[in-house]
Amino acid sequence: MSTAWRSRLVLLTLIGGIGLLLHAAYLPAKAWLAQHLLEQAWQRRLAGQPAQPPWPGADMRPLARLHQPRLAVTQVVLDGASGRVLAFGPGHVTGSALPGEHGNIVISGHRDTHFHWLRELQDGDLLTLESGDGTVRRYAVNRAAVHQETEIGLLDPLADDQLRLFTCYPFDGLYPGTPLRYVVTALPLAM
Amino acid sequence: MLRAESRAWLGLLGRALWGGLSVSLLLAALVMLVGPAEAAGEQAGLRIYATDGAGLGNAPSLDTRIAIGVSGVIARVRVEQRFYNPHKDWVEGVYVFPLPQNAAVDRLRMRYGGRLIEGEIQERQQARQNYERARDAGQGAGLLEQQRANVFTTAVANIPPGEAVAIEIEFQHDLAWQDGGFSLRLPLVVAPRYIPGAPMPGALHGFSAHGWAGDTDQVPDASQITPPVAVSADDSLNPVTITVDLNAGLDLAEVVSASHRIDVVRQSHGHYRIGLARGKVPAERDFVLSWRPLLGQQPSAALFTEVWEGRHYGLLMLMPPQATALPQRVGRELVLVVDTSGSMHGDSIEQARAALLRALQQLGPGDRFNVIQFNTDVHALFDRARPADQVHLQQAKRYVTGLRADGGTEMLPAMRLALRDPSPSGLLRQVVFLTDGAVGNEQALFEAVAQEIGASRLFTVGIGSAPNALFMTRAAQAGRGTFTYIDSGAQVQGTIDRLFRQLSAPVLTDLRLHWRRGEGDAAVQQAPVQVADLYAGEPLIVAVAADGAPTQVDVAGRFGTVDWQQSVTLSGGAALGGIHALWARRMIDDWLARHASGEDGEVVRQSVLQLALEHRLVSRYTSLVAIEHTPVRPADAPLKSGALPVRLPAGWSASAVFGRLPGTATPAPLFLMLGLACLALAWVLRRRWI
Repeated sequence: MSTAWRSRLVLLTLIGGIGLLLHAAYLPAKAWLAQHLLEQAWQRRLAGQPAQPPWPGADMRPLARLHQPRLAVTQVVLDGASGRVLAFGPGHVTGSALPGEHGNIVISGHRDTHFHWLRELQDGDLLTLESGDGTVRRYAVNRAAVHQETEIGLLDPLADDQLRLFTCYPFDGLYPGTPLRYVVTALPLAM
Repeated sequence: MLRAESRAWLGLLGRALWGGLSVSLLLAALVMLVGPAEAAGEQAGLRIYATDGAGLGNAPSLDTRIAIGVSGVIARVRVEQRFYNPHKDWVEGVYVFPLPQNAAVDRLRMRYGGRLIEGEIQERQQARQNYERARDAGQGAGLLEQQRANVFTTAVANIPPGEAVAIEIEFQHDLAWQDGGFSLRLPLVVAPRYIPGAPMPGALHGFSAHGWAGDTDQVPDASQITPPVAVSADDSLNPVTITVDLNAGLDLAEVVSASHRIDVVRQSHGHYRIGLARGKVPAERDFVLSWRPLLGQQPSAALFTEVWEGRHYGLLMLMPPQATALPQRVGRELVLVVDTSGSMHGDSIEQARAALLRALQQLGPGDRFNVIQFNTDVHALFDRARPADQVHLQQAKRYVTGLRADGGTEMLPAMRLALRDPSPSGLLRQVVFLTDGAVGNEQALFEAVAQEIGASRLFTVGIGSAPNALFMTRAAQAGRGTFTYIDSGAQVQGTIDRLFRQLSAPVLTDLRLHWRRGEGDAAVQQAPVQVADLYAGEPLIVAVAADGAPTQVDVAGRFGTVDWQQSVTLSGGAALGGIHALWARRMIDDWLARHASGEDGEVVRQSVLQLALEHRLVSRYTSLVAIEHTPVRPADAPLKSGALPVRLPAGWSASAVFGRLPGTATPAPLFLMLGLACLALAWVLRRRWI
């Protein structure tokens, strides 16, 4: 191989590599920045200001705020759990019970950004969920299990009163298309 | 010159980058080293995700015997599951299995060590606690839980080595009348509609403390439970025998099974015995049995009654008049609503376009139609429904072909616009709603549907990998229509055609029942409270409960623009056990549907719980549990858990999925790895080059 070709090849792989690394860095950066803006939107909403998109052109809306004191996690939960929504924050799975209701509330988030902390949760950990009207419900982590993605029964809004958080599994998986979900179940605490 | 310049530039870039690259590689090495260590730590408490058959080692084997007794339009079914433990250890067996959607499961018995133990109905959590306590104490125990309306699990604890424990489940089930005959459909493998052969570990979630140390001491060998699918199983796995004692009460023209080869023996007038020609069959497809009365002997109505704990219960089946006696085709107004939000991007919008084009082809002269799309905004093709003539259809085809998916999901205004009925033209108004169901505020949607449905009917069509089937089913219920799911491009045509055949048949609507007792009104509890529309050939089936038996019922409804009514004198009828269970099961379904139209969840829960406990029914909130009181397993003998493998339904592949949980991983780690690999490659090339 001639030196010229080789130098072009080196340049190409370099640019490709840097591009991929930038993209890899962009996804968590977007996730982090979005949460920051969403937190501000949430505060405005609690202060009773008229609903506005968290940033111009945003097509999602904040639905609740999730808090875990031991790991110091506070996140704004969005409405819906499509890929588009999950890029910006954990999403409430449509069809499950709504935050604030007594029912089976399901929230999903990306395993490598927002919901990476699920792996740190321990039995008995406190989770609080604040809904749009300011009411706060408290839950204690009760168990975790790995499920198949096909188990849509997990979303049944009439199942027992509980909070389910789920994310893709395994946590350190390389490929995005895993069929497994890590599901943390938390049971409601008395007020 | 150019080359020298580019080399100098490359050198500069290189010097700037190699530093960063070294750090990156170091980081990558760290990730590689740390990653597996962490993963191993995690696995210590959580060894349950194997779908490769791990945990199979401890599973008992299962033999199922089903005995069906049919009286008229009601079947009493006994399912005996015999769990045999071939191992040297004591084991616990768990089996996931389907039952018909409207089965009223009211009995569990356990045959344990020569004793027959009757199950008790208990609140779900209490039943589970009692089961687990008995299991851990070494007592024989059986538990029957409902996971979905038609998916159940049995768990059997402390099966002694080399012995068998049998669980008997009984349920009541009313039969379907279709195309001039009765049919009985008994699913033998977990229905593809929910889980196409994929394992169901979630059904067992309460079963083991998957995860943390604090829980594992309560649950021996907790993390081994994963009901696997035996993808290539021979016929000896989960064999089933079926016998049917068919007392039709009418002379039959034929008794056939579309699913299995059967032997039919006529016992006497209208009484048949049916068995499987092969004896045992693998549990891999639904068992379907149909029978047809002799011509001229078709029933026009059936009544079954029971007095149970002082109350009168009745089940009434009434055949609507034959479709041939009615106008064949009712003109209709069809409103097609399509979701063009960003989440529909890709295959979903392609499928929606194909479905819409197919739907447009089904329109005939005399029909009117409109097309509405919604994303961030709502846009209608016409300001109001137009006749389905060449000009308008051409316009609609161009409009549909041009649909693009982008933006938000403002479903509520679209629903309102579609349900608004500007032309009181007397046409049958059908709204077909195509979406992936990634909707915003579903409660507001239910309310809008319930309030504004008027004379319209709402049919939801699910597209793409739709996790929100629950929502769409309930929206359709509130809109008195049906939910149809399209799960792959190839199916679009067949599925849409089937839906439109249903839509174009004459429909018996606005059904109202008036129960009388003597001269006055009878106070009855009717289930369902609101009778759904009846499509071609469907009979009306209602159950009632009353303190005093009603003597007459007046039924009124409309076929298109024609009024229809009929009075039925409720004298005679066949007394039959278990009618109360069928009534209670329908009441429960009614309550669950009412939750969809806005009833408070807690009220629904309490009502369902009360009904289920009173009538001893297994439900979402109640389970049957049977416990042998003497401990049999020695305290020092461990208990192994084994989930029984389920078969893939015949002809199904694991990839044909009804619905999925949302995907929750970004490709960032993959990009990171690929990026690092590229840089490493560049590093290697550069060294050779210099």
